[in-house]
Amino acid sequence: MNNTQSKVTKLSKKEMKVDFEGKLSFWQRLKLRVLSPAFVGKLIYAIFRTVLLIGISYIILYPFLTKILASFMSNSDFVDSTVKLIPKNPTLDQWKFIILENKYFLALFNTARISVVCALFQTLMCAIVGYGFAKFKFKGRTILFLCVVITMLIPHDTLLLAMFMKFRYFDVFGILGLLGFERSALPNFINTEIPLYLLSLTGLAFKNGLYIFIFRQFYKGVPDELEEAAYIDGTGIFKTFFRIILPLSIPMMTTVFMFAFSWQWTDTFYTAAPFFTTNGIHLLPSIIEVPESLKIGNAASTLWESAIANTGGLLVILPLFIIFLFAQRSLVEGIERSGIVG
Amino acid sequence: MNRAANVVSPTKVKRRKVASLDAKKARGGWFFVLPFVIGFVVLYLPMLISSVQFSFSEITVDRHVGYTLSFVGFENYSNALLSDAAFVRTLTESLKQLVFDVPAIVIFSLFMAIVLNQKMIGRAVFRAIFFIPVILTTGLIDQIDQSNAAMSYMSSGGIDTGVNSGSGDLINAMDVTSLLGDMAIGTELIEYVVTIVNDIYNIVNRSGVQMLIFLSGLQSISPSIYESCKMDGASGWETFWKITFPMISPMILVNAVYTVIDSFTSESNEVMRYITNVYNTGNVRPRELSSAMSWIYFVIVLLLIGLVALIASAFVFYQRRD
Repeated sequence: MNNTQSKVTKLSKKEMKVDFEGKLSFWQRLKLRVLSPAFVGKLIYAIFRTVLLIGISYIILYPFLTKILASFMSNSDFVDSTVKLIPKNPTLDQWKFIILENKYFLALFNTARISVVCALFQTLMCAIVGYGFAKFKFKGRTILFLCVVITMLIPHDTLLLAMFMKFRYFDVFGILGLLGFERSALPNFINTEIPLYLLSLTGLAFKNGLYIFIFRQFYKGVPDELEEAAYIDGTGIFKTFFRIILPLSIPMMTTVFMFAFSWQWTDTFYTAAPFFTTNGIHLLPSIIEVPESLKIGNAASTLWESAIANTGGLLVILPLFIIFLFAQRSLVEGIERSGIVG
Repeated sequence: MNRAANVVSPTKVKRRKVASLDAKKARGGWFFVLPFVIGFVVLYLPMLISSVQFSFSEITVDRHVGYTLSFVGFENYSNALLSDAAFVRTLTESLKQLVFDVPAIVIFSLFMAIVLNQKMIGRAVFRAIFFIPVILTTGLIDQIDQSNAAMSYMSSGGIDTGVNSGSGDLINAMDVTSLLGDMAIGTELIEYVVTIVNDIYNIVNRSGVQMLIFLSGLQSISPSIYESCKMDGASGWETFWKITFPMISPMILVNAVYTVIDSFTSESNEVMRYITNVYNTGNVRPRELSSAMSWIYFVIVLLLIGLVALIASAFVFYQRRD
């Protein structure tokens, strides 16, 4: 090792190879590198890490695996105690009857429409409100932000009855009542999509406080100089926001849109009774029921019915999963770049 | 607004007092938060007030007049706390569970975020898998999973009891006790660890967003700090406790509070399910009673969040920024 001298060989215009231990053969170098305690420690750690990650991935994926396998089982497989994971009499009945008899595609279409519209509204509105909180100093800002936190803190279940009454007899500060409307004549928004859209447009829907918070943190990280330059060039506040800031925040908006979309998709609070009763719009939660053709009355019916519920669940998340496959990269990266940290 | 400003002739502008940029920006700020303000004042606040009102009164629903309220004082509250047999028990049990879950979820998500932040083969795949629960195991799916006979049947040893039997558990308290017994760790701690390990599915499912928040926190730590640490000869252990932990501590506070809020507003929450059950099937004034119950629960959780924030803020280190 005494005669160590660096040797530089130029491979091409852009690459070059530096050989610091020109005197050592390949095997000697390998030995030095592999047999060092640091390398062994690193190797053990890497193995430990991989095993751990695979184990936890298994925990996450296993329920999906069992659900998928159970969805192909026929009723007799649940009575047969030798059948655990692999169905003996595979059948597509569960999928077929849920899709046909529970009107899957109608529910899919309705839910997709509601989710897309709500998620768009929520993303845009939370971006606007978050920008207002991040970049402007005005009187009452702290109190208003406290209000956002309050909407985040109070679970919607607490307001269930009040919300139902609000949308059943819709009124703004009792103005319509003062104008001489009877309570029973007030607009009834139950079984319509209007409550969802109203809540989305005002940043009050499911977890919107969180989105406002995320956007606020994101916009706090955007340098003020950017807007100042725009103001000096004579752009107004709103134009600056829509032309400069909004395009800048597209990664963040994708992330929030994904959250809003998927949480709206699987939501059971606003899309079930009392807001949507059985004669309302046919939505995805209502496909989780046993179709007529699959009803049985024997001992294994509990298992069978829960397997059917699982298959319904798979049908619900299948479109989401496909979207997730394409969007997961931008989802994770968006959150990382967001600087929720501040 | 812009166009109006452009149309105004220069002489007119000179005569009028021009609003400063700050004043203009303050007005602009109000315009930006206006949607939320309108929604809060017109929709949310009345709902909040009437929800409190409902919890203090009796509702009589009439097909023609709508509903009428009559004030009954604290009767609903005393009914919830004194007459309802299961409410207080459910409440205390769920709070105990929450106190146990919060540290477990925060520690687990921090650990996983640190692992997922390292460079390795297949990192993107692992990250994608870890965020599946955030997207997929929510709301409806969560509800289906609550009483999932088929799944517990398929994961257990074949005894069909319809509920999760002990045979499906990953580890057993007895095994661990014999393993850790010599280390003189208290039995409570062993029980706690065993409960967490057996509950790992639940914990993994609930720590997705926390992991994202920790990841973004880890990415914001400047690599040059780690570099200088390495130069000074700090080991990985020291680097974690002296650099990573203090730098990430604000995120620990955020995550602790978020975990409390999340588990308290989630669909699978025991108390919330109990309250919904009361709402649907209760005997005496079920709706008013459920309102009162949710307000009791809310106040308790608010106190809990305050406590968590107080404890966590003692350890939080804020990096001073100019």
